[in-house]
Amino acid sequence: MQELEKMLLELKDTSELMIDLAYSSLLYNNHDIAEEVVFLEGMMDELGDEIQEMVINQSSQGGDVMKSLVVLRLQMAMEEIADAAASIADVVLRGIPQHPVVQMSLRDADVVISRATVASSSDMAGKTLGDVKLSSISGMFAIAIKRGKKYIFGPDRSTRMEAGDIIMARGPEDGEEYFVALADGTEKL
Amino acid sequence: MMDVDEPPFLDLSVREILTEMKDLSEVMVDLAYAALMFDSEDIAQKVSELEAEMDNLNYAIKIKTLLAARTREDAIQLSGLLQIAAAAESISNAAGDLVKLQDVDIERRPFLSFMLRESEEKIRMGTLSEKSDMVNRTIGDLGVEAETGMRVIAIKRRQRWIYDPEPETKLKARDTLIVRGTKDGYERLADFISGRKLWPVYEEEV
Repeated sequence: MQELEKMLLELKDTSELMIDLAYSSLLYNNHDIAEEVVFLEGMMDELGDEIQEMVINQSSQGGDVMKSLVVLRLQMAMEEIADAAASIADVVLRGIPQHPVVQMSLRDADVVISRATVASSSDMAGKTLGDVKLSSISGMFAIAIKRGKKYIFGPDRSTRMEAGDIIMARGPEDGEEYFVALADGTEKL
Repeated sequence: MMDVDEPPFLDLSVREILTEMKDLSEVMVDLAYAALMFDSEDIAQKVSELEAEMDNLNYAIKIKTLLAARTREDAIQLSGLLQIAAAAESISNAAGDLVKLQDVDIERRPFLSFMLRESEEKIRMGTLSEKSDMVNRTIGDLGVEAETGMRVIAIKRRQRWIYDPEPETKLKARDTLIVRGTKDGYERLADFISGRKLWPVYEEEV
């Protein structure tokens, strides 16, 4: 795949993760998750600028104008999604006491997004997602892993986790406790 | 009294409206990408319809919250709620913009569908075998999302589409399911929809 297409997919993955995280920051009234959304928004902006520059350069050098237009529109739509997610996170960051109906509405969903850091004593450290069988035991599916400043989107059973990784997972509320405990090392395999 | 038509959705509670708006905002983005991936005008058309529905929901929630504010504290809390509702509507507008990309002649955007199919394969399609024990059970009874992490975003039944199906929606043999989730989740679901594995049964918790 070409560089440009890789960048667009990263925008897509990031904007989708941002929606998930933004709603979950509201559900838990969690500032850390809301901050993460704002951080990702900054990443989206930088990447978006790069993409715009790249396609405008390409089409001014005789590239396909329609293709450039499609790319720009796609980028702008994803940017719009990211901005909306940041605006949801902003409600949490402003520290406004939340109306109880907000959490009630979010609770109506069957699944929650959860976020946990892998402790060095955790059985997850050094193992792959397949090794720990997270999804078959708890119903929690890892949707992204943050390692330092990098994100790994769409991890699969061969993805290895390291101490310090932040794992973001989606699943039923009753699977969350096991997931968090396994990550912090209090629950063993 | 102003002589205007009663806007839709005013009979719903604020909680119901917000739940619906959140749900729509998520499913519309998935449907928009599915429309581009499978080059489906049907799905794109549905996204446009949902966009209009979202506008009406946002209008209704504004009216209801304005009526509910009695004190300064109410107003502060409700302003946060309206900000969330407005964001859900922006997401839906973005989904509408995404499907408008289909107006560009397909020859000029071949990379789009290709690229989306190459992506993390979050959105997948699968057909329910008559051998599967999911047949004739509802999405809610099965707990499809809780069990597999895959959310059913649309079902194609013969010539008809069911979008954003309700928990009460019963699955039929040969339904084509468009689902969203992780690769692992899809592999798990694929075993069940093909009938290779039986849907797990759990003991009632005491």
